[in-house]
Amino acid sequence: MKELNPQPDLLIVDNIQTFIGQFHILEGVSVRVPKGSITVMLGRNGAGKTTTIKSILGLTPPREGKVVFDGLEIQGKRAFNIANLGIGYVPEHRAIFRSLTVLENLKIAERRKGDFDRNSEFIFNLFPDLKRLSRLPGNHLSGGQQQMLAVARALVPDNKLLLIDEPSEGLAPILIQQMMDAIKVLSEKTTILLVEQNFIMASQLAERYIIIDDGKSVKSGLMMELVHDEALVHHYLGASIKTPQELEKKHEPQA
Amino acid sequence: MNPKLKKAITISSIVLVSIGLLVFLYISAGQQTFIRTTLSGLTLGSLFFLVAGGLTLIFGLMDVLNFAHGSMFMLGAYIGWQFYTNPTFIFGLLPQILAFASGVMVTPIIKPYLIRWQLSDKWVKVLPKIGYLLGLITFVLSVLGLDILGLAKTAMVAATTATIGNPLAELSAQEPLAMYWFRPLLIFISGLFIAFSTSKPGNKTEFAPKENFLSKLLIPVILFLLAIVATLIRESAPEAILLMNGNWRFMISLLVSIVFGFAFGAVIEITLIRPLYIRPTFIIIMTLGLSYVIRELVQLLWDPLAYQMVRPPLFAQSGKAANLLEWLQNGNTTIDIVGVTIPTYRLFVILLGIVMFIFITILMTKTRLGMIIRAGVQDPQMVEALGINVKAIFTIVFGLGVAMAALGGIGAGPFLPIQPLMGDHYQTQGLITVVIGGMGSYVGAFVGALILGLARAFGDYFALKYSLSTAVAEASTVIIMVIVLLARPQGLFGKKE
Repeated sequence: MKELNPQPDLLIVDNIQTFIGQFHILEGVSVRVPKGSITVMLGRNGAGKTTTIKSILGLTPPREGKVVFDGLEIQGKRAFNIANLGIGYVPEHRAIFRSLTVLENLKIAERRKGDFDRNSEFIFNLFPDLKRLSRLPGNHLSGGQQQMLAVARALVPDNKLLLIDEPSEGLAPILIQQMMDAIKVLSEKTTILLVEQNFIMASQLAERYIIIDDGKSVKSGLMMELVHDEALVHHYLGASIKTPQELEKKHEPQA
Repeated sequence: MNPKLKKAITISSIVLVSIGLLVFLYISAGQQTFIRTTLSGLTLGSLFFLVAGGLTLIFGLMDVLNFAHGSMFMLGAYIGWQFYTNPTFIFGLLPQILAFASGVMVTPIIKPYLIRWQLSDKWVKVLPKIGYLLGLITFVLSVLGLDILGLAKTAMVAATTATIGNPLAELSAQEPLAMYWFRPLLIFISGLFIAFSTSKPGNKTEFAPKENFLSKLLIPVILFLLAIVATLIRESAPEAILLMNGNWRFMISLLVSIVFGFAFGAVIEITLIRPLYIRPTFIIIMTLGLSYVIRELVQLLWDPLAYQMVRPPLFAQSGKAANLLEWLQNGNTTIDIVGVTIPTYRLFVILLGIVMFIFITILMTKTRLGMIIRAGVQDPQMVEALGINVKAIFTIVFGLGVAMAALGGIGAGPFLPIQPLMGDHYQTQGLITVVIGGMGSYVGAFVGALILGLARAFGDYFALKYSLSTAVAEASTVIIMVIVLLARPQGLFGKKE
């Protein structure tokens, strides 16, 4: 990672090692996220992408290595402290609060009074469905609506960085397109670190990529270069690359 | 089948069966007995709810089964009774408690500076230990020679000998002020040492903002001033309170029990339970052990006797009131409800349970804290990732649960003998209530408490009628639990795992 960045790095993850119980999950992951960009983490299932996100947030604190956010070292701090520095989290499987209404799901994310009122217009413009559903409990939403709510929840406070884990997982193609559009809009407001299995989506959204393999970050650079390097893509991502046709097939029954 | 339809059928069949059961009981017992038994069932149910509500909130949020809940119920009764009968004990200890709390509350002020210290790993580990040790030494020095047992005796004497007309006769003198001052001062220093240790010098695991210095300073300063005031009034305040109208005194003692319960619960959560969340079985053993410690301490302070609490004047006048208005005017012990004589105090206990249920409902559905609790029940990690200090929420909920139990204890005070084992029965029934209602559901706890209370009351009635052993009534609650668990393993209002 010696390239010059036009923008300073908002997030620097330097060679972190994370254990979950006895298992050594991350054996040296380094990530750099320049300010104002979308960076995507690619890799096979179980490569350690989600654990990297959780290690940044302090949910699975790294045992070694450094995490620097906005000039502050945050490794080893408690998760709520880290989040309050301005990091929004959209977890894998959404983690919508089932017994709370859509409105409550959004309001709980307020860090200061009035956060929601300030940003509600932006959120409801981005996801107009949510306004209509706002009185419904979280467990009455469909998968796509839950995903929108999970993203919207991360937008309630003014976050400097969004960590978005697999936003396209289990969504019908039309919803994937909608989600992509939304993330594009967001990238104008904040910096985004994305985890995505769907290579098509990742390649269209992100400016930069990091490939995680077997708990290590093995390659990073500009997305433009990666899309032309089929050998590299095939070597590290192999089965996880999906053509649009395959995607259609996979999601048809759920549509 | 449509799950909504299924749910509607289940609920309506439960409602129908319970109505049928009530009608059957009404016919077989006759109107008078039915009303009397129902009301005493509701009284029991109300107390069961006060215990089970806290248990279920605590279990729902943090998966902790608090086996010391019954002891905390009992402790609440003792503290409230102590305040009502002779508050000398409480006012004698108040300056120390306030001074200590004031010292400890310095933590948030010094933390931002202390955690930034550049210390080697060795000192990071050793310094807090030195602080705790010094804190302990100063603490012991400050209570050395303080006659706690003597203070506790004042209420014992008052309870056993006091003539109702002159409670002041039993007021006892305390140490002279000049000798007394050093205690709060020393214990304040002890609190400062503890604050030093809990701010984790050199341990950079948290971000502690340096801003809001003044607002952080406010709490310890207020506590310190209160400690000074409490030292000055420690002899005159008990006198003033004993001269007060008994009803007001009783209301204040309910409040004292709640505040005590909350503080006690919060302290127990922070010091004993928090280190054990990763080992849930240890928590069960620890709380079980804690219940014995509390019981022995109570026996040490107030002797293993059973005390009868004097009823507040509103419930003390002998004779039967014809209606509600007459009762409120004269303060009779019993009241006539459709020809049935009912002890008025029971109505108060029922009211207490209903008020607490409404309070919990509002708390859980209308406030931000309730929202966070409901979210935390499902996914505490996600709540933390939103930037909410979940540990602090755990402390608040544990404190709330214990406060409810303590309120139940003092609420039961005027009609149960106050003795070290008084909470055990309510703890067992509370646990059964929680299981019936569904772990973690406060509505379930309320409904379960009603069912159990009524079952106990009618069980007692039928046992008496057919000259069976009273064990039948006690067994009835367990039988109900078995039936509910067979039909709905997650409890009436529980969520499926």
